[in-house]
Amino acid sequence: MKFKAFLQSHGARLSHALFFALAWWWASWWMGDFFRIAYENSFFATDATLMHSLWQKPYGSLWILGRAALTLYHWPLVGGLMVALLLTVGSWLVGYCLRLRPRWRWLQWLPAGLWMAWNAWLGFNVYFQYEPGRTLGVLLLVVAICAIDAFIIWTFKNKHHHAVQPAPVQIHLLAVLVIAAAVAVPSLITHLRHPYVRPVTRMQVQMLHDDWQGMVETAHKHAALSYRPLAAYYAIALVHTGRLAEDLFDIRMDYDSLYLVGRNKEANIGTDLYLIDCDYTAGLFRTAEHKAVEHLTMEGPTLFSLKHLTRLALLDYNWPLARKYLNIISAAPFESAFVDRYTPMLGSKEAVEADPEFALLRKGEPVVDAIETFFEPPTFLGYHAVNVKGRSQEALIYSVMTNLYSKRMPAFLERCSPFVGTTPPRLIAEGLVTQSVKNPAILQAFPQLQMMQQAYKGFLQNVSYAVKDRPTYARQLFDQYKGYYPYYYFFGNLKSTRKRDNKETGTSNAGVN
Amino acid sequence: MHKSSIIRYTFIILSALSLACCNSRPTTVPTTFAESNDSVVIYPDYRDITIPPNIAPLNFMVVDESASEFVVKMGDLVCGATADGKLDIDTTAWRSLLTQYTGKDLEVHIYAHRPSGWIHPQPLRWHVAEEPIDSFLSYRLIEPGYELYRQLGLYQRNLTNFTENVIYENNREYDEENNHCVNCHNYQNYSTDHMLFHVRASHGGTIIIDGNEAHKIAIKHDSIISAGVYPSWHPTQPLIAFSTNFTGQVFHMFHPEKIEVLDMSSDLLLYDVEHNSVRHIVRSSDALETFPCWSPDGRRLYYCSARCQQSMADSTNINIVMRYDSLYYDIYSMSFDPVTREFGEPRLEVNASAMHKSTSVPRISPDGRYLLFALGNYGQFHIWHKSADLWVKSLSPTPDLSQQGGEKADALSANEKEAQSLHAETDKALYPLTEANSPEADSYHTWSSNGRWIVFASRREDAAYSRAFIAYFDREGHAHRAFMLPQRDPEHNIRLLKSYNVPELTRNAVKISTSSLNHTVYHTDAEMAKYEE
Repeated sequence: MKFKAFLQSHGARLSHALFFALAWWWASWWMGDFFRIAYENSFFATDATLMHSLWQKPYGSLWILGRAALTLYHWPLVGGLMVALLLTVGSWLVGYCLRLRPRWRWLQWLPAGLWMAWNAWLGFNVYFQYEPGRTLGVLLLVVAICAIDAFIIWTFKNKHHHAVQPAPVQIHLLAVLVIAAAVAVPSLITHLRHPYVRPVTRMQVQMLHDDWQGMVETAHKHAALSYRPLAAYYAIALVHTGRLAEDLFDIRMDYDSLYLVGRNKEANIGTDLYLIDCDYTAGLFRTAEHKAVEHLTMEGPTLFSLKHLTRLALLDYNWPLARKYLNIISAAPFESAFVDRYTPMLGSKEAVEADPEFALLRKGEPVVDAIETFFEPPTFLGYHAVNVKGRSQEALIYSVMTNLYSKRMPAFLERCSPFVGTTPPRLIAEGLVTQSVKNPAILQAFPQLQMMQQAYKGFLQNVSYAVKDRPTYARQLFDQYKGYYPYYYFFGNLKSTRKRDNKETGTSNAGVN
Repeated sequence: MHKSSIIRYTFIILSALSLACCNSRPTTVPTTFAESNDSVVIYPDYRDITIPPNIAPLNFMVVDESASEFVVKMGDLVCGATADGKLDIDTTAWRSLLTQYTGKDLEVHIYAHRPSGWIHPQPLRWHVAEEPIDSFLSYRLIEPGYELYRQLGLYQRNLTNFTENVIYENNREYDEENNHCVNCHNYQNYSTDHMLFHVRASHGGTIIIDGNEAHKIAIKHDSIISAGVYPSWHPTQPLIAFSTNFTGQVFHMFHPEKIEVLDMSSDLLLYDVEHNSVRHIVRSSDALETFPCWSPDGRRLYYCSARCQQSMADSTNINIVMRYDSLYYDIYSMSFDPVTREFGEPRLEVNASAMHKSTSVPRISPDGRYLLFALGNYGQFHIWHKSADLWVKSLSPTPDLSQQGGEKADALSANEKEAQSLHAETDKALYPLTEANSPEADSYHTWSSNGRWIVFASRREDAAYSRAFIAYFDREGHAHRAFMLPQRDPEHNIRLLKSYNVPELTRNAVKISTSSLNHTVYHTDAEMAKYEE
């Protein structure tokens, strides 16, 4: 009875507190990385020149407000707190403005739930090729309208208060259920419709913090998922950890659809999500710049493109250009850490070359000029697949691994001669073994692979039943053989596993799926 | 809390915040200061320049992180700047200052307040020329991009103040059905009475403007490579010379240059505005002709042409791409009879290929004495070539080239020295505009109608974003040091993420409204030009 009475008298406050807590969890923990990356794909400054083109767009001022709010996601906990507050206050205002009677108060949580579900449903389309200020701009607008409405009601309402009948306990329990559903449904949508969103954005946030090992661990944790961005960021992390030739095939690479819609309203393959990061990591700085400028052109300035362009200008020793981009980034709030990290490099080639990240990436840079158009896209794969001149052992590994990934075995074998007389990295050794049955000369050059060949023959026997219908058995065999190159060779990266893939557009990567 | 109290406190807080946002600027020259032999760093770099007497205030920003206040004295005009060093000169005071100093030198004294006290570095010197510049500059603003484009437009800036008006903008929001690009705006004889620009992709065509009227035409025929591209209005006749180009672009992966824009084929066309008809001026399979330009009297047509080697002419586009750096464009001219509209035989004007160099964008000075063009190491799309510099060929008796010696010769870039020495033996009337040039791409130039100013696009700031630069061209045929188009906020050119493209000077403002142009682009069909054999 006591609990019942307590619930009757404090139920409304408790439901608000519960909603606030769950909304904060959703906005900062469940979707925190996602909105953090949305913030990176956005740009806000108080400078009129920088915001001019956005300001002039339809609803531009609203999108600017949305972007301003998004900047708090520099710290996902703070951004999440803001969203939770907006949702909670907004929900209360909805109830107030609609003059909902206590028994109908549970309805006030539905708009907030719908907003969260809308974000979850959009997935990467919250910012990918669409205005990143839209989502929070809409939320701010609704809350502002409700606040104005409430202010008017409050100003002119009858001052004589009427006693309000408290809601029965069942209504409070219903409110709890609605609140739980309002948060659970969007979370489930993300988990079921876009299972890649959280791991990919987690890896992108880890990349912002140079947490390469963390990226590897995130990818391993979600190894059974099979999406291009996940594989791309995993490969990037392996470049940084130096484990590309050992661990590349530890995750599935069959590439399901991203449910992504491009700006042309057609299904999009999503290559542009990671293309610049991959080109940059592969040492293809000119290509990365090309894509980053195109990103800048199509999306307007974003922190993502501006930061890349800054690094690329520094790698090009173009100090005025790097200074320009740093000047622009410094106009954005909360970006002083980036500016402070790179400003000391201006004018100092030594400082640029001493940066460990730049030094590593420089190893993959081409040594002779080539025309980007002549390589199969995406260029970070197309170039390395045919690249025969490199400046480092790392460049050789990139080229060899790209050919292994692309299953271009003659090209792979051509590039393996530098490993003769050494113990090749595991995946390269396994790649050699797959060819050794047809080409006995391989074992003469690499006699230490005899044992691996036996294992390979055993693998072929074990999976002989599955070879006839590889798409069907690929998923089943993954847990048993993940990380083993012969498995990938026969069962990995099988093209177009879904009809939907055929309709997707975007930067295609035909030939090196 | 009472409602009126809430409103009152809100008002007080907002007032306090707005007061806190106000900055104060010093407005008097300090009485005590230390002289410094250092030269001061300002942005944009306005050191030792010649400026038009009708130019907008040259607002600049003093770059001195150790200073907290700045005072600038120009003649009797004293302006203060806050800690960010930005100067915002009063337009009226500036106007009277320039009137006072027309034809004279003006010293610009900067005082910087450092922790140790006020210092006074070496003053800047500006020479205020007697000849004004045409009041309007139109240009396209576009990201220095590659394949894709989004929001872009043609704009017109009043050079006497900071007003920038839209001539035409494409769709601001991405819209698959309406997406289009605009380019190649061009005017007849420095007047906006007759102008044109192209619309590409959706709603494509060439917009021909006659005063307040506009219509859309399409140049398309089996015999023509593409729609008209680089235009040149005949100075007096209703005729436009166009190039027609099959253009492609490729991207370097490890090269100081980033992009190559190449013509796989190109010819020249003559379009008759009154009869909406078009015919070939030049149609060749072994040469690439482009960038037509009429002489001011309309009796000669200048253009660039590259000899396509036999192997290249017969080959696929890939082979042309692979040999991009061996395409050399020379400048030719042909006589033109305005009555019969017949062209004479081509005459070689600038033999750049003999120097293993390449020209683009020939432009003749209004007095007909000088041929101004861009010279680079190869190709014709010099806005992306670091080697591109502005050069001049004297079309009248040879100027006194001794002035190119001494200090100026020392300032020549390696490219210029090489080209000049190669050329010295054959043509002494050809020389670079060393004072105006930079190590980065300088190209796409235009003359003022009085021939005393040139405006061009240069990437000298950062090798990526082109900016409009203005240089005085004196009576001896030499350009003075160029300065960047002034902006109200001097930081504007740092913050702007678009390039200035195809600057064109005109005497008057564009008359037609943006809404009329919108209507023409979106709601009218292009009239097909008749092709005449």
